[in-house]
Amino acid sequence: MKKFQLGEFEEIVMLTVGILYNEAYGVSIKIEIETRLSRSVSVGALQTALKRLEDKGYLKSREGEATEDRAGRPKKYYQITALGKKAMEYTRSTRNEMWDAIPKVAWNVKVAG
Amino acid sequence: MKDTRYTPPTLFLRFFRWFCDPALRVFIEGDLIELYQRRCRTFRKTKADIYFAIDVLLLFRPGIIRSADRFDTINHYTMYRNYLKIAWRSMTRQKMYALIKVGGFALGLATCIIIFLFIRHELSYDKQYKDSAQIYRLYNEYKESSDEKWTAFPPSITHILKTEYPEVEQAGRLIPYKWFNAGSNLFRRDDQKENTYEEGFAYADQELLEILEIPLVYGNPLHALDKPNTIVLSKSKADKYFPNENPVGRNIVLNDDPAKTFMVGGVMKDFAVTSHLQYDFFITLTGVEFWPGEQTSWCCWNYNPYVKLRPGTDPAQLEKKMLAIKDKYYVGYLNETKSQSAEDVKKYHSFHLQPVSDIYLHSSDIMDEIKHGDIRYVWLFGGIAIFILLLACINFINLSTAKSANRAKEVGLRKVVGSVRGHLIRQFLTESMVYSFVSFALGIVIVWVSLPYFNVIAGRSLSIPWLSWWFYPVLLGSAFMIGLLAGAYPSFYLSAFKPIQVLKGNISRGSKNATLRNVMVVFQFTTSIILIIGTFVIYRQMNYILNTKIGFDKEQVIEIQGANTLNKKQATFKNELLKLRDVEHVTISNYLPVTGTNRDQNGFWREGKSTEEKSVGAQKWYVDEDYISTLGMKLAEGRNFLPNVASDSQAIIINQAMAKAIGLKNPVGERIMTWETFTVVGVVEDFHFESMKGKIGPLAMVLGDGGDVISIKVKTEDMQRVLQSITGLWNTFMPFQPIRYTFLDESYARMYDDVQRMGQLFASFAVLAIIVACLGLFALSAFMVEQRNKEISIRLVLGASVNNIVRLLTQNFVLLVVLSFVIATPVAWYLMQTWLEDYAYKTSITWDIFILSGVAAIAIALLTISYQSIRAALANPATRLRSE
Repeated sequence: MKKFQLGEFEEIVMLTVGILYNEAYGVSIKIEIETRLSRSVSVGALQTALKRLEDKGYLKSREGEATEDRAGRPKKYYQITALGKKAMEYTRSTRNEMWDAIPKVAWNVKVAG
Repeated sequence: MKDTRYTPPTLFLRFFRWFCDPALRVFIEGDLIELYQRRCRTFRKTKADIYFAIDVLLLFRPGIIRSADRFDTINHYTMYRNYLKIAWRSMTRQKMYALIKVGGFALGLATCIIIFLFIRHELSYDKQYKDSAQIYRLYNEYKESSDEKWTAFPPSITHILKTEYPEVEQAGRLIPYKWFNAGSNLFRRDDQKENTYEEGFAYADQELLEILEIPLVYGNPLHALDKPNTIVLSKSKADKYFPNENPVGRNIVLNDDPAKTFMVGGVMKDFAVTSHLQYDFFITLTGVEFWPGEQTSWCCWNYNPYVKLRPGTDPAQLEKKMLAIKDKYYVGYLNETKSQSAEDVKKYHSFHLQPVSDIYLHSSDIMDEIKHGDIRYVWLFGGIAIFILLLACINFINLSTAKSANRAKEVGLRKVVGSVRGHLIRQFLTESMVYSFVSFALGIVIVWVSLPYFNVIAGRSLSIPWLSWWFYPVLLGSAFMIGLLAGAYPSFYLSAFKPIQVLKGNISRGSKNATLRNVMVVFQFTTSIILIIGTFVIYRQMNYILNTKIGFDKEQVIEIQGANTLNKKQATFKNELLKLRDVEHVTISNYLPVTGTNRDQNGFWREGKSTEEKSVGAQKWYVDEDYISTLGMKLAEGRNFLPNVASDSQAIIINQAMAKAIGLKNPVGERIMTWETFTVVGVVEDFHFESMKGKIGPLAMVLGDGGDVISIKVKTEDMQRVLQSITGLWNTFMPFQPIRYTFLDESYARMYDDVQRMGQLFASFAVLAIIVACLGLFALSAFMVEQRNKEISIRLVLGASVNNIVRLLTQNFVLLVVLSFVIATPVAWYLMQTWLEDYAYKTSITWDIFILSGVAAIAIALLTISYQSIRAALANPATRLRSE
């Protein structure tokens, strides 16, 4: 049974929110992911992911300031919650455990190949 | 920075706003716009536009689209539950208003449903034919000063149509009225002795069965009537006389006359209720000639032809071509007999085709001896249904807006707590739906209970189509629609209250819309008064018909039917009858002044003028010397027939209309002729022998023996005893034939069944409309009293009398009713004048009808209001003022 559910894209979004810390809102997250991973992210995909994460309780949001560029629409800043942090740590540790579980010999295949 | 601001494509932005979850909208919209601005700075605007569009389209996905499951329904489900609960509470809190609302509504709906069923029935006639579009019947039109239409044709018409007109695929004749064996007969199997009286006989051609697609249970549909002396029975009659067997090939005897033996050629399914023809027996016309030369002559018009045209024939074209028949045969015949009418016939007479599906509803001006409906009544009743529904809806609207003050606080509070107008509209619509559905349920119950009575009044056999698949959706749909209709205005009105005003308490307490309410009350009472006046006029006319001097005495006349089987014993029977106590006169004649008895139309001339003058069409009735005394007719001049005077076989008695028509100033002693010559011995005062819809026509009586009907004039207090002695006498003469008698006054009244029905229907509708209107008025007045509670109390304290208060409260309503009366009078006058135009003899619409209706309406209205106003005026003001 999975304790925490975190998809690949969701994890990336969580990480980016973490990286941006106090400056994580829609556009900044999108640009951050796009520059770091050089992959394009659609607003739709990002917003659904953010919404899902917020629904799960991994992220929380607050209303931010409105700029002229946004025609007066407020920003929505995201922050990782304690639960979110746990989820990220869980994902990371399970992954590490799995990494560690790979026998050294397995790596030789590549060398041999 | 202003110049660097770009506007994203509005179409996509609006699309986004439309579908986006409102919780996310501003933020995402902000993101989108920010991105757009950034892109506009790096790319061209069009490219940014395209990216924007793609972003929007990619946002169109679950999670972003405002979802029905999370926000809307759950919330609405609870809200609707709340609405229903509040609706229920407000219903129970004000039981009287709720009862009036629902009761009035249900009554109106029940009326509508019944009328709907009626109209559906009327419109469903003659829809059963596969080739309906090709089936027509013929009728004549003679359009001179008046426009006459009738369906009888000479016997050879179908033969001519079939041989000379290739457009005509089939043509068949029908004799639908009492003529020879058509109408009614005594009936028995040839192997049995007992005779039974049966009605519903008609003569028909084999081809008529094929044209009208009459389905046979037994027998060959193509050869059922094609041999002489064959007869087709209906299934129910076949089951009655030949239970559990196939009667084809068996013989039956009519009128106990072995010469009238017919072989059963087939058994047809009983006619559908919705068929303009309703017969149980078809006697073949194959090989029939009623008198020598009858079949080829153009003298006598007795046959109703039906035709089936080939597909694609234009009936209008054929009608024009058929005029040739008239010119060739009819005018030919008239010239041969040197008749003076030939020129007129050429000019005014024409032949027409009527589609079979039109026969039932569109034949009110065609004389055809078939029972029909009338399209005008369908429209009229449809109109009444809509009006009564409107009345019921108005009640609903009126009461809802009047009671708005009680709901104002609720509306205000709901708005303060966050309800938007849309939600409030939804709430009040839900409420009116609840009322509508409850009313529909109640209405159906009312229909179920009252439909049998309606059937009796309207002479129909309607039933609620419980088992039809369309019934329930239509019912639910209309409940929904009507709920919407009635609830629309109140919900918009109620939801528009401003919370601040309402909660401060200075809403005008529902009196703001007094004008609209007044208009509605006027509308209701106008409709009611029109219906009252209509009822009065119809009853007047009925009264006029039944009680006016009709020229003969219809009271206490017994008619024994089927007396032709007495044969030679008729005279003895008559003498024996005269010996009975209380029997005054006895006459034997088939010709009686009520419809459904024999008629014989002939052309008369003054002696020797048949080639010089136009003929006068007149009835020629065969009577005996006791006829005039039995029926209480009066001789204006001359004498009655004399018994045992041989020369009186050439004597004739004419009515005044005839004397006038044929142009005889001193008719007694003059001689007139048909194909034989008669001497006028007397003139009888005009009497009504047809419906009062037409003028009294010319009529002549000659002596003639025999007949089916014995009329007995009695003078007694104890009709039962007389009937017993007559029955006893009959049974000694005719042991195998049960006596069958009717009363002349009943037969006479039956001629005006339709008027009676109209009267009763109108009366019921008027009563319904009044009840609905009064329910509304009652509730409105109760509301007014409630509103002016304080005012009334203060007035009472200051010394107003009960009188003052009642007047104060009622005068407004009475004014409205008076206004309605003023509006209703001319409308009703016009409508009823139109209705009366159908009658040649009619009552006049006098002022007292209007006065009476007006007074009745005002009295009813006053009565309705007075309960509330008097109660208010008698209440102790102290109890009501104390609470302030």
